[in-house]
Amino acid sequence: MAVPDTVAARRRATTAPPTVTAGTRRRPSRRDAAYWLYLVPGAILFLLVIGGPLVYTGYLSLTRWSGVGDPTFIGLDNYRDLLHDDVFWTSFKNTLAMIVAMVLLPTLIGLVLAAVLFDTIGRRFRPRTAAALRAAFYLPQVLPVVVAGIVWGWILRPDGAFNGLLDSVGLGSLRHDWLGDPDTALPVVMAVMIWVQLGYPVVVFMAALERIDPELYEAAEIDGAGWWRRFRAITLPQIRPETFVVGLTCTIAAMKVFGPIYALTRGGPENATNVPSYFAYYTFFKKLHVGYGSAISMVLTLIIVVVSVLFIRAQNRAERRDGGL
Amino acid sequence: MAATLTPTAATRRAPDRHHRGVARWIVLALVTAAALAMLVPFAFMLLNAFKSPGDYSTNGPLSWPSEFYTKGLRTYWEQVDFPLKLWNSVLIAGSVAVLAVLVSLLNAYALGVGRVRGRLWIIGLFLLANMIPQESLIYPLYHLAKEAGLYNTRLAVIIIFTVIQSAFGTYLLASVLGTFPRTLLEAAALDGAGKWRILWRVVLPNLRPTLSVLLVFFFIWTWNEFLIPLVMLIDNQTQTVPVALASLQGDRLMDAPTTNAGALLSLVPAILFFLIFQRTLARGITAGADK
Amino acid sequence: MQRLRRVAVAAVVAALAATGVTACGDDGEDGSGAKVLKLWHYEGENSAMGVAWDKAIEIFKQEHTGVEVRFERKAFEQIQQNAAMIINSSEGPDVMEYNKGNATAGLLSSQGLLTDLTAQATKRGWDKTLSPSLQTTARYDDKGVMGSGNWFGVPNYGEYVTVYYNKDLFTKYGVQVPTTLDEMTRAMDTFVGKGVTPLGTAGAEYPAGQLFYQLALARADRTFVDNYQLYKNPVDFHADPLRFGAETFADWVRKGYVSKDAASAKAEDMGTAFIAGKTPMIVSGSWWYGRFKNEIKFDWDTFLFPGNTLNAGSSGNIWVVPASSKAKDLAYDFIDITVRPEIQALIANNGGVPVAGDPAQVSDPKDRKLIEDFNKISAQDGLAFYPDWPVPGYYDVLVAGFQSLINQSKSPDQVLDAIAKPYQDGVAEIKRN
Repeated sequence: MAVPDTVAARRRATTAPPTVTAGTRRRPSRRDAAYWLYLVPGAILFLLVIGGPLVYTGYLSLTRWSGVGDPTFIGLDNYRDLLHDDVFWTSFKNTLAMIVAMVLLPTLIGLVLAAVLFDTIGRRFRPRTAAALRAAFYLPQVLPVVVAGIVWGWILRPDGAFNGLLDSVGLGSLRHDWLGDPDTALPVVMAVMIWVQLGYPVVVFMAALERIDPELYEAAEIDGAGWWRRFRAITLPQIRPETFVVGLTCTIAAMKVFGPIYALTRGGPENATNVPSYFAYYTFFKKLHVGYGSAISMVLTLIIVVVSVLFIRAQNRAERRDGGL
Repeated sequence: MAATLTPTAATRRAPDRHHRGVARWIVLALVTAAALAMLVPFAFMLLNAFKSPGDYSTNGPLSWPSEFYTKGLRTYWEQVDFPLKLWNSVLIAGSVAVLAVLVSLLNAYALGVGRVRGRLWIIGLFLLANMIPQESLIYPLYHLAKEAGLYNTRLAVIIIFTVIQSAFGTYLLASVLGTFPRTLLEAAALDGAGKWRILWRVVLPNLRPTLSVLLVFFFIWTWNEFLIPLVMLIDNQTQTVPVALASLQGDRLMDAPTTNAGALLSLVPAILFFLIFQRTLARGITAGADK
Repeated sequence: MQRLRRVAVAAVVAALAATGVTACGDDGEDGSGAKVLKLWHYEGENSAMGVAWDKAIEIFKQEHTGVEVRFERKAFEQIQQNAAMIINSSEGPDVMEYNKGNATAGLLSSQGLLTDLTAQATKRGWDKTLSPSLQTTARYDDKGVMGSGNWFGVPNYGEYVTVYYNKDLFTKYGVQVPTTLDEMTRAMDTFVGKGVTPLGTAGAEYPAGQLFYQLALARADRTFVDNYQLYKNPVDFHADPLRFGAETFADWVRKGYVSKDAASAKAEDMGTAFIAGKTPMIVSGSWWYGRFKNEIKFDWDTFLFPGNTLNAGSSGNIWVVPASSKAKDLAYDFIDITVRPEIQALIANNGGVPVAGDPAQVSDPKDRKLIEDFNKISAQDGLAFYPDWPVPGYYDVLVAGFQSLINQSKSPDQVLDAIAKPYQDGVAEIKRN
């Protein structure tokens, strides 16, 4: 598909992804210094709210403490215990399920949904319709998680709406205690998480689609490319930055997920839906083992950092590969 | 990055009007069905928000209310001083939204436009604020707030969430500003504008859509925050709506219909905010420069 | 680190002082002759305690005309999670309701966060008003274990676990109120025979654990309770009474007395099913009484768990005076008002269980029965507290354990193993401190 030069130039100018060019565009350090000033407010706030507390949490992870009185230093004992803690490892296994339910599926479904909403509905019908439908998909993100827990409880309990629905379509034999059976609890929670998370990628991707030059699509249509062909060749590469942003933020959210687990199952039944964040919360505030909870949090943070670094590295490699500036 | 189509594809004629028409209606129907399915839990919420407790207990949550009951909601509204809680939530979420956008902009200016050395690592460091699970921050933040005399104030909550939300904002804006057309900046610099003026006169106007998106996200994400406000805001006068909703859950008993009604009330401002900004959302997250 | 932190904090505070958004909740007051009483509790406005305490506040205001009472109703979760943090700051109240037990009041008292009320208790006669068995949760030793030591809290009401039953369903299926555990088993067999699940419970929250405890208490004595709750001697989880409790529970699930669907049920689900008339019996606490009275339309009543001398139960939540309170004398006066006969009578007449009330003065016969049953248990030193009390975080352990029994995914032996280890670890830790 030969794209006219002017269009290509404009595309490159407005959508070229950020490049990691350490060294190719070196500036005189005097000009750098002026820009450093702009980082000062953010840096101060960061140190106060995150940096200091992180160090303090690190210190607490080396102690035994109930939250009142003075902490007792015990060295690396907490970490040693963590290695042998079955619940801890189970909770990480469940995180993988959360990543599927909060990253992979919502991103994929959200992408297709955004494209459909934007293209088929926004263009062929009125944009208002697309906007209304988008709002419907985003609404679960706005609902307080405690209430979501109550309402989903009504739907999923043995005498709830879902089993009722199965009955009414003749599938009554599939009735189940969805949240009470350790085998079905996790998949069901995953489904609820998709419901919660879907709106975020849809909104982000729809906004991203807005900035793609329509001339690209028109040129492709003239050449006879079908919807899928256009999607793969134009849409996907153009919105790569947003895809990475969505992927990274959803992954971080999936690794730290707490609210919905607390509201739906409290990590049960029998730890089937326990996640590291809930386990840490329980350890901090119910078992009153602040030191151990801090160790859990440090390990969780470390893992999130590693995953994020890998992610950002991959993003940069991909951008460098086809950004080419 | 050109995609060339094979000659066979070129001979394929575009679908005629009639076929196109049917397909789009089917798609619309499917998507609308999906959207309605997404809204089913909200329907249940509505159903139970105006039910009397006796009705709820006897007939269950899936039944139609026998009468339109608003007493629970009205009592709750007064008991908890809901307007005050709403105001606190708006104040905190609104302040965080504005301040976090501001901080993100300043950070991203240095990282995306200024391209300071080590920018990737700095972005990652800021992103750390988003990566740390909140429960591990509680004890340290409590001690810090107490020492600063900010325990039990809304300001402490605003500061905390400004940092947490601006992590995402810095990451996003830095990515966007990294592709900001150099020509514009150089032209302004040639005209004698300093970095500060360039930020406000050249960069900001082109970023409005992206900043609006951030405003909406930050507002909504802060609106529903529960854990940190629960710890930091202990006077009823400073509390936000999610904390007020928690008062309906006792040690062993709970009031489900009123909780639903209260949640409905708390949804309204967040939804309003979202709807008002929907239009700017459409203008795009990473809009390029207007030529 | 310390110095850097302080400098940084000072800089921020200085920078933001101009904005004036640092307004806190209350004004500073001078220490002498306090003029403000900051009072917190978390009982509902229409509950027996809520009504009684509103009246107590009224009386207090009449007797202390120059004093402003700043009452705030709190969320239970907020106090539960953050009490230590709140009391450790200057933002806490002068007198507040707090949960009784070693893990809550005991822990705070052992850290010096609660005011010692012993002198007041003797001076004002609280030690005479409250029966010795109720005083267990008012007094904590220096390790934070209840039962002996100084007074740190004062309860106003009591609570206990009983059996609520649907009289209409009992009549319909021809079942009599059982007086022994065997009779209860036979009654439940009758229901099962007619296709009705006799016992409602909730595996996702406290009711299942309390059912287990009631069964265990059928074979227990006071020594067991002292060992289990006060750590007097080690407890063997594989011996009776705990073994009897777990095995009977599993037996009841197998026989269909308890539905398998109860695994994911929350207490609210169990309660609403009973209110809707679907469940013949539930084993749960007196805290449901007020709500049942308001919402149930059929004929219902209670009977004590058949055959038990020991029952789960204790004093209700206690009034504590935080060490950081600025109005301690006023706090003591207020507490004194709450144990007066007129306030206790208000609790009694509104569906609550008073600690020092006269049942004879209660007008409603069902209300009277609720209180008389409690007094009976209390008089025979039969209050055995609750199964999740001994160790912090034990609540979730019990929930997980009994969900597996309802799901029949573990044997009673395995469940006893699963709940024994956290108990033993926790007690070892308490003893070490």
